[in-house]
Amino acid sequence: MPLLQVEDLSTFFHTEENTVKSLRNIDLTIHKGETLALVGESGCGKSVTALSVMGLIPTPPGKFESGRILFRGQDLLKASESEMQSIRGNEISMIFQEPMTSLNPIFTIGDQIMEAIHLHQNKTKFQARELALNALRQVAIPSPENRIDQYPHELSGGMKQRVMIAMAIASQPSLLIADEPTTALDVTIQAQILDLLDQLRQKIEMSILLITHNLGIVAQYADRVAVMYAGKIVELASVEELFASPLHPYTLGLLNSLPKDGTKLETIPGVVPHPAYLPKGCAFHPRCAEKVDQCTKMIPPLKPINSKSLHQTACWLYETSPTV
Amino acid sequence: MNKLLTVRSLKKYFPVYGGLFSRVIGQVKAVDDVSFNIHEGEILGLVGESGCGKTTVGRMSLRLTQPTSGVVNFEKANIFKLSKKELDKLRPKMQIIFQDPYSSLNPRFTVEQIIGEALSVHFHINGKELRARVESLMEKVGLSSMYLNRYAHEFSGGQRQRIGIARALALGPRYIVCDEPVSALDVSIQAQIINLLQTLQQEENLSMLFISHDLNVVKHLSQRTAVMYLGKIVELASTEQIANNSAHPYTQALLASKPSLDPKYRIRPQPLSGDVPSPLNPPSGCHFHPRCPKVMDRCKTEVPRQIQLEKNHQVLCHLYDE
Repeated sequence: MPLLQVEDLSTFFHTEENTVKSLRNIDLTIHKGETLALVGESGCGKSVTALSVMGLIPTPPGKFESGRILFRGQDLLKASESEMQSIRGNEISMIFQEPMTSLNPIFTIGDQIMEAIHLHQNKTKFQARELALNALRQVAIPSPENRIDQYPHELSGGMKQRVMIAMAIASQPSLLIADEPTTALDVTIQAQILDLLDQLRQKIEMSILLITHNLGIVAQYADRVAVMYAGKIVELASVEELFASPLHPYTLGLLNSLPKDGTKLETIPGVVPHPAYLPKGCAFHPRCAEKVDQCTKMIPPLKPINSKSLHQTACWLYETSPTV
Repeated sequence: MNKLLTVRSLKKYFPVYGGLFSRVIGQVKAVDDVSFNIHEGEILGLVGESGCGKTTVGRMSLRLTQPTSGVVNFEKANIFKLSKKELDKLRPKMQIIFQDPYSSLNPRFTVEQIIGEALSVHFHINGKELRARVESLMEKVGLSSMYLNRYAHEFSGGQRQRIGIARALALGPRYIVCDEPVSALDVSIQAQIINLLQTLQQEENLSMLFISHDLNVVKHLSQRTAVMYLGKIVELASTEQIANNSAHPYTQALLASKPSLDPKYRIRPQPLSGDVPSPLNPPSGCHFHPRCPKVMDRCKTEVPRQIQLEKNHQVLCHLYDE
């Protein structure tokens, strides 16, 4: 059984003017100990996926229109708030994009890590402090005995992100959701943080849902990749397959638009559609060079390209190939 | 090639106030003795991590920030010695494109006003002629002139950046500082803007200082690259040399920490340990020594001097100082 199984999930936000369709019938699985990368541009629904799994979507305005989120077989969408609380921060943890604003400025980092431990584990103050120190050691913070009593403003951006990670792993979660964990950090720090996450994954056998827009990070750290566009998964494959033989025109466009040598970059014309006003049929068709008649009428399903392959894509171009 | 811009020993120290009477208790050496040239029609890339002083260098090269000391010669005139009147005459030739397309456009102005403002201020162009000029500028950057009367908030990030570029081009500049113009944009939009900048630069033979933290983008666009660390340019060479034959350990670390796009090639070099130190209290000697994998004893005490490795390849490192 996979650790996390998202089935047919749709998350909409109802506002006075319109309905923002952030997620449209998403299917995802994450197995034990693997890193699944979720790639896409801003507004494609990466973060909404993460927040849906964490049960952090405010309802209203948010509404789960369809689907299930099965974590170890339990449907998180049906779980009560107290059940969610025992899972969130304990079994499933999350680190956010901005370490600068995700820490509480008026508590020491020790207090903040210990808070998470006290909430989920029955430990004395002394034991909790030991566990917090241990977590800080695991994320390679130098002299943790001094750092534990410092306030967030006394730490650099990379250090703060380490503290966030320490907090997230203090309870040894089985799933860690990392939402753009290094976007706000410098390149030399980025490598440190990602290597750290990867080591921890191996050490405590946790699974990682890695949300990023950086394809280099995907290539280096992911096992499998889901490419998202306008609230849908358009391609799902192992990292080797995705980079060796990308199928969906959007994935191809993304890979080609990266700077390589001095030659002119290939671009995807146009812009990402507003999630409340999606075009009919495949949401990518107005920007797609290879669109056929069908693309403007019907939404393509996410399907394996052939019966043997795990490489899936949602594109009418591949519909002619033998399907299951 | 003629030198359009020469920068000599540029320094910017920001005072730090503190204590009982808010006296000056220290200095942040944001830019510490920086020198470089930009030739006509050349793009010079300026790379470095946050807080290393890239933006301050860019702003001083336009006299948007007053330096503590140093010289910037633009077309042979020292821009810090010019009177306001003389500077006003020079302003149309030097422009800037900002990083954040969301906060650098006036929300109360229409696109026509944003792009046209400088034209009416500097060249006293108004009315129909101004509209025609704005329309042709919009076309040049790939915006439909239908949007003339729209406000900035009605546009996407990429389109806003196009407006910012049109505004910078309005006065027919010779030199443009591009301060991280694509880092706030999505990958597919980034490529569009990079292509646009490249085309415009070639068409008008512009000189550019291209500031970025993204080595890939700089490598793609610039002929020469300068690498900054804590207020100093630690290496300056042709982009090719930086990419294939870099000398400074920091440049090498920057290149190594860039994730490769090949999932089969997962040999990860040891990432740099430690954090970027605070410029308020930089390490002694070579500022990079606490993180440097090739640190020697003299690095801890002696400030490295500039070494000329080859023609057009300078480095600030004791390793090459015999």
